Amino acid sequence: MAGKVLEIRAMSASSTPAPGIRSAPVVAKLIDTSSCIGCKACEVACQEWNDLPAETTVQVGSYQTLPDTTPNLWNLIKFNEHETSDGAFHWLLRKDQCMHCADPGCMVACPAPGAIVQYNNGIVDFQQDNCIGCGYCIAGCPFNVPRMSRQTKKVYKCTLCVDRVSVGLEPACIKACPTNCLTFGTKEVLLQKAESCVNRLKAAGFTEAAIYDPPDVGGTSVVSVLAFGNNPEAYGLPRNPSISFAVKLWKSPLKWIGNFAILAGIAGTFVHYLRFGPKHVPEDAQIKQVEAR
Amino acid sequence: MTNGWTDIANADVILAMGGNPAENHPVGFRFAMEAKRNRNAKLVVVDPRYQRTAAVSDKFVQIRAGSDVAFLGGLINYALTHNRIQEDYVKLYTNATFLVKDGYSFDETTGLFSGWDKEKKSYTDKSTWAYDIDPKTNFAKVDETMQDPRCVFQIMKKFYARYTPAMVSSICGCTPEDFEKAAEIITSTYLPNKVGTIMYALGWTHHSFSVQLIHAAAMLQLLLGNVGMPGGGVNALRGHSNIQGGTDCGMAYHNIPGYIAIQKADHAKLSDYLAAVCPKPLRPGVMNFMANYDRFVVSQFKAYYGKNATADNEFGFNLHPKLPVGAAPGTYQNWSWAYMFDHMYEGQMDGLFSFGMNPVCNGPHSRKAIAALSKLKWLVVAENFETETASFWKPEVLWLNDGKPQDVQTEVFLLPAANFAEKDGSFTNSARWIAWKYKAIDPPGEAKPDQEIIARIFLKVRELYEKEGGKYPDPIKALNWWYTSPTKPALEEVAKEINGWALTDVMDEKDPKVVALKAGDQLGKFLDARADGSTMSGNWLYIGSYTQAGNLTQRRNSADPSGLGRYSEWAFNWPANRRVMYNRCSADATGKPWDPSRAAIKWNGDKWIGDVPDYKPDSPPEAGMGPFIMNPEGVARLFVPGQFADGPWTEHYEPMESPVQNPLHPEGQNSNPAAKPFKTQWDRLGKSDEYPIVATTYRLTEHFHYWTKNNQYNLQGQPEFFVEIPEELAAEKGIKSAQNVRITSARGSIVGKAMVTKRIKAMTIAGKKVYQIGMPIHWGFFGAGEQKGAIANLVTHSVVDPNSFAPEYKGFLVKLEKA
Amino acid sequence: MIKPVKVAHGNVLRYNFTERLVHWAAALSYIYLSLSGLAFWTPWMWWVAMMLGGGPVSRAVHPWMGLIFTVAVVYMYRMWLPDMRITPTDLEWKKTVRAYVRNEEEEMHPVQAARGFDRFAPVDRFNLGQKYLFWVMFWGGITLLVTGLILWFSDYLPWSLRFLRLISVFLHPVAFLITFGGFIIHVYMGTAMVRGGFSSVIRGEVSESWARYHHRLWYDRITGASAAKK
Repeated sequence: MAGKVLEIRAMSASSTPAPGIRSAPVVAKLIDTSSCIGCKACEVACQEWNDLPAETTVQVGSYQTLPDTTPNLWNLIKFNEHETSDGAFHWLLRKDQCMHCADPGCMVACPAPGAIVQYNNGIVDFQQDNCIGCGYCIAGCPFNVPRMSRQTKKVYKCTLCVDRVSVGLEPACIKACPTNCLTFGTKEVLLQKAESCVNRLKAAGFTEAAIYDPPDVGGTSVVSVLAFGNNPEAYGLPRNPSISFAVKLWKSPLKWIGNFAILAGIAGTFVHYLRFGPKHVPEDAQIKQVEAR
Repeated sequence: MTNGWTDIANADVILAMGGNPAENHPVGFRFAMEAKRNRNAKLVVVDPRYQRTAAVSDKFVQIRAGSDVAFLGGLINYALTHNRIQEDYVKLYTNATFLVKDGYSFDETTGLFSGWDKEKKSYTDKSTWAYDIDPKTNFAKVDETMQDPRCVFQIMKKFYARYTPAMVSSICGCTPEDFEKAAEIITSTYLPNKVGTIMYALGWTHHSFSVQLIHAAAMLQLLLGNVGMPGGGVNALRGHSNIQGGTDCGMAYHNIPGYIAIQKADHAKLSDYLAAVCPKPLRPGVMNFMANYDRFVVSQFKAYYGKNATADNEFGFNLHPKLPVGAAPGTYQNWSWAYMFDHMYEGQMDGLFSFGMNPVCNGPHSRKAIAALSKLKWLVVAENFETETASFWKPEVLWLNDGKPQDVQTEVFLLPAANFAEKDGSFTNSARWIAWKYKAIDPPGEAKPDQEIIARIFLKVRELYEKEGGKYPDPIKALNWWYTSPTKPALEEVAKEINGWALTDVMDEKDPKVVALKAGDQLGKFLDARADGSTMSGNWLYIGSYTQAGNLTQRRNSADPSGLGRYSEWAFNWPANRRVMYNRCSADATGKPWDPSRAAIKWNGDKWIGDVPDYKPDSPPEAGMGPFIMNPEGVARLFVPGQFADGPWTEHYEPMESPVQNPLHPEGQNSNPAAKPFKTQWDRLGKSDEYPIVATTYRLTEHFHYWTKNNQYNLQGQPEFFVEIPEELAAEKGIKSAQNVRITSARGSIVGKAMVTKRIKAMTIAGKKVYQIGMPIHWGFFGAGEQKGAIANLVTHSVVDPNSFAPEYKGFLVKLEKA
Repeated sequence: MIKPVKVAHGNVLRYNFTERLVHWAAALSYIYLSLSGLAFWTPWMWWVAMMLGGGPVSRAVHPWMGLIFTVAVVYMYRMWLPDMRITPTDLEWKKTVRAYVRNEEEEMHPVQAARGFDRFAPVDRFNLGQKYLFWVMFWGGITLLVTGLILWFSDYLPWSLRFLRLISVFLHPVAFLITFGGFIIHVYMGTAMVRGGFSSVIRGEVSESWARYHHRLWYDRITGASAAKK
C-alpha cells in the first residue's frame, strides 16, 4: 500500500458527498487478547510516535496505567481480574482505543464539517483544525473514546497511525508489540487470522472464544479476539454497541423535519401577509364616533 | 541459557518457573508465544503470584515463595515413578549409571548428608560425595543396567521418593491434583519426539539454596531427555542487557574471565594453580575440555602483562591478584557482594568503585549497605543519574539508619558516565549472543564512557606509582596498556584483544611443520590458544568472535536455513558459535537425531553437521565420546560429586526465614546447612510468630531496576511502590486498595500503596494457613515524579547461597499493617 | 404589574425601560443563539458560524450567550408572571382565534370593525397567543439551559451518565425548533402583522386607541376606567 493516496470516503456534517472516488482495501488492526502480556509497549510507542507527553499517574491498586484514555494517552491496556462461574481465574488484558467503526457514531453526531473524516481505507481521524470542541462526538461514540483536551478544547484519539499507514508503515503500537498480539493488514486477511486464533483458543478449551467485530456499527477496523467471547463486558467492551437512537434521530429525521419546519414557517409568514395583510387600528376619532352612536 | 531465545519457538512445553518472562523479558518472550501459536506448545507457569506470564499460560500453579525445590523434586519423583523418563538418553548421557562411593549417605530424619560435623555445624568432610573410583584405571565405576543399589539412578529414586504429591502440596501450598496436572504436562516431553524447555530467572537464583535449585531443574531436564535438544535445555534469563557479558568477562570475584576459578594465595606455583583448574578424566574416551585451561590461563596472562609475562616469571603468575586464604583451613576469603559489604562494615575496606550499580537499592539489606558505605574512606560512583548510593550521605537516606551527614567521613565522587546508547561496544544476551552495538548519540556534558573513566584513573595511578613508588607497584607497572589512544581505548581494539591473536608464528599441533597461525593473526578457535606464551587472549570463551574475517559480532544475517531459529550468521554465539549447547545429546548412540524435525546435529559418516557441534567434530558415534565435553566424566551430573557446599543432591531446605518447620525433617535441619548468616548488629533474622507473612520481591515490565525512575514514561506506567495483598488478607485487616500500608521485617520497614488482588491466594503450608504478599523494587529517593524512598531492599536480609552467593531476595518474612 | 402611566399626546406607556431592555437582551441573544445554533444544526448554515468568528469561537460563545438568554428569560418571568396567567377569558377568546388570525375584523368597515371587535372576548395586557409565546419561551428556555449545560460540559460527564448526553443531543434542537417557531410567529406578528407592535417595545408607548383596540381590559385598568381588578 506504499504510496497510495488516502482519500476521504465520508466526513462529518457534510452537505455534499465526499469527493474521493478511489477505493482502497479496508485496513484493520487485530488484537489477539489471549496473547497480550500487558507490557504497555503500545501505550508508550503511541505517545512517542505522536510526541505526546507522559501523564502524571498515581497507584490506585491496579496495574492499569489510568482508568481511561486521555488526550495524551490514546491507547490503554485494561487489566481485569476475572473469575469465571466455575471458579477459574483469568487476568484479562485488552488494549483499549478507538475502534475505527465503519459507521462511526462520532462522525454522525459531529456538527462541524470536516472535523471528523473517514478515509477510504476505513481509518477514522479527527481533524483538529476543523474541530469546534463541542463534544458531540463524545455523545455519539458507543465506546467512550474521544477525549477533550482542557488546554486546546479539541478532541483526540487513536489515529490508527494514518500518517504511518499512508506511507506503507504499520502503526507504532503494532511495531512495538513484542508478542505479535497486535497485527496489521487488510481487514479481509486479518479476519481470517482472527478465525484461526479463535480455533486455537477453542482447541485449548475456551469454548466461547469469538471475534469481536460489532455489526451494529458496520464492523470495526479494530478487531479483537476474545477468549470469553460470550462476555465482552469482562473486557470492558459493550455487548452490542450501536449508534444511539438519539444521535440517529438528531442526524436524520429531525434534520429534515426541522429544516422543513423552519422554511415552512418563514414562508408561511410571507404567505399570511400576502393573504391577510396587517391588522389596522382604527383612529381614536372614528372609535369615539362609533361609540357615540 | 543452554539454548537460546529464538530456540524457544521449537518447544512443545515451556515451564516458566522462578521467572516471569512475559513481564521482564517481553521481547524474548515472543518466541514462547510463537511456540504456542505455531506448534500448539503448552506454557506452564509455577509462581507465588498469578502474573503477566500466567495471564497467557495454559496451566498456572501457585506455590509458596521459596518452595520451588520441593516442586521440582516432586516433578523428578513423578517422572521416575511414572517411568516418564527418556531411558536411553539417561543411560547414555548422564551419570545415572555411575556408582557412588561407599561412605556416601543421607539421613532423612536430620536432612543432612554424610560428612556433617555436629559441633562445627558444617560439612567438614565432603570426600564421600564422590564416585566409586576404580583404583586401577582411576575411572569411575558404572553399572549400565542401573540396577545396582549404589548406582546414581537407584540412589536418586530413593532420595526423591519422599517428594510425593502430598508432600509437594504440604510444602508448596498447591493441591496435589494441581501439582499432578502440571506434572503431567511437564513430563510429557520424556518422549524422544517431544521437547520441553525451562525459562527461569531470579525467582530461582534469589534464594539461599539457588544453585541446588537449578541443579534440580537440570536433573529434571536430563531425565526427560531435553538437554541438548532444540526447543529444550535449561534457559536462564539474565536480568540486564549485558550481565551475561559481565559474568563472561570475570565480573564475579571468584572467577577470572571465561569462568575459570581465580588463583588462590596458597597456589605457590603456576603449576599448582593449573592443577587445580584442569581436572583429570573420570571416564575413558572423554574430551575433558577443561584440561585445556592451561592454554587459556597463560594466554590471558599474556593479554594482561604482554612482554612482562614470560616463561621465566611464570607468565606473570605472581603479578595477578590471588584470593586470600580464609580463617578455616581449606577455605578462602569471600568477596562476593554480601560478604564485601560485611567486610566494608567491619572497616576492612578503604574505598569502592561503584560503576552503574546502586548497592543501597539493589543489594540486599539497604540499611546495612548504608552503614557499610559510611565506613569507607572514599567512594567513586560512575552513573547516569544521581542515585541513592552516590547520595547515601544525604539526610533523607541516612535517616533510615538514624544517621547524620556530619558523622559520615566518606569522600564521595560522582562521575558522569555515558549510558548504553552513548557508546559503542557489545552486549552479550542471555542466549550468549555477543552482538556489537553502535553509538547512537554523544554523551551529554562531561559524561564519559566507562573505558575512558577507567583508563584515566589507571593511567594516573600508574603515574603516581612511578613517581612516588608504593607497596608492590609491579602489577600496575607491568600491565599492558597498548591501546592506540591510552586515555580513550577503542572498544574495537579491546574486542580484538578479548578474542586474542598469535604473538609469534604458531605451529599446527598435529603437524608441527605447518604454520597454523602467523604472528599477529587473530585466533580462530579455542585450540589456537597455546600454553607456551605464543598467544594472548583476554577471554577464551570469546575466541572466534573477532577472527581474521573481522568482528563477527557485527554480523546481521537473518537467514535461517535450518528453520530452527539458529541464525548462525547473526552476531557471534559463544562458545564457537554453537547455538544449542550439549547438542551431541540431540542424537542417539548411532548419531541419528532423536527427533528428525528438531535435529541440532547429526553424523553424516565423516563429521557432525548442522549446528556447530558441541563436540569433537570428527569423533564418530561408535567412539562413544561423552557429550558433556567440559565435564571430566563426559556425561551430565545428576549426582554432583564434591563441588557444592550443600550436598550432591538437591534437598528441599526452607528459606532462612520460614513460616513452618521443614516438613521433610521437622526435627532436623530446617534451612540450608551451608548458608551462614552474618553476625553484625544489622543481621537480624525474624521468626514467624512476629512476622507471619511470606514476602517476595520482583520487577515490573514498566521499569528497569532503579534507573527508569528517572523517566517520565516509565513512571507513567507504574508511578509508585505498592504491595500486592491477597483479598482474604486485606479483608482480615480492613485494608482497601490504594490505602497506605506498612511492611516490616526484622531489618526495616517500608510504606506503600496496597493493591488488593485475586492473583495471590491464601495457602496451607504444613497444615498452617500462610499468606504471601509481593512487592516490586523500582523506587527510591531520587528520580522524576514523587519519590518517597520506598526501597524494597529495606526489608530483605543478606544471607546468601553458599555456592553462588546470591542473596535471598525472595521468600522472607514480614508483617503487614495499615500505615 | 407596572404603574399605569398615561403619557401625553394620546399615548399610554405599555413597556417601561427595564421591560424593553430585558426583552431586547433576550431577543438579541436569542438571535445570536439561533444563528450560531443553526450553523451547528445543519451544514447548509455552517457559513453563518464563519461570519460569527469561526467554528470554535461560535461554539465557545454560544453557551455564554445562552446564559445571558437564560438570565433575560428568568427576569421576564419575574416581571410578567402575573400578567401571563391563563384565565377563563383567554379560553373564551380562544374560540374566536381563527377569525383573529385571518384578520377577519379587517374586512369590516372600520366602524363595524370597532364593534365587530367586540365579538372577540376582551384581552388583558397580553392575549392568549402572547401568553403561549411566553410559556413556550420559558419552558423552552429551561430545556435549552439544562440540555445546553449538559452539552457544554459533555466531557466532564461520566460514562455511566451518558444517557443524559444522548437525551440532550435530541432535546436541545427540539426545544430550539419549538422556540424558533414561536420566534418566527412573534417577530412576524410584532412587526408586520400588528402595526404598532414593534414601536411599543422600542419606544414603550402605544396610542390609546391601540391600547383600547387590542388590550381593552388592560387599558381600562391602567386608566382607572374600570374598577375591576385582575
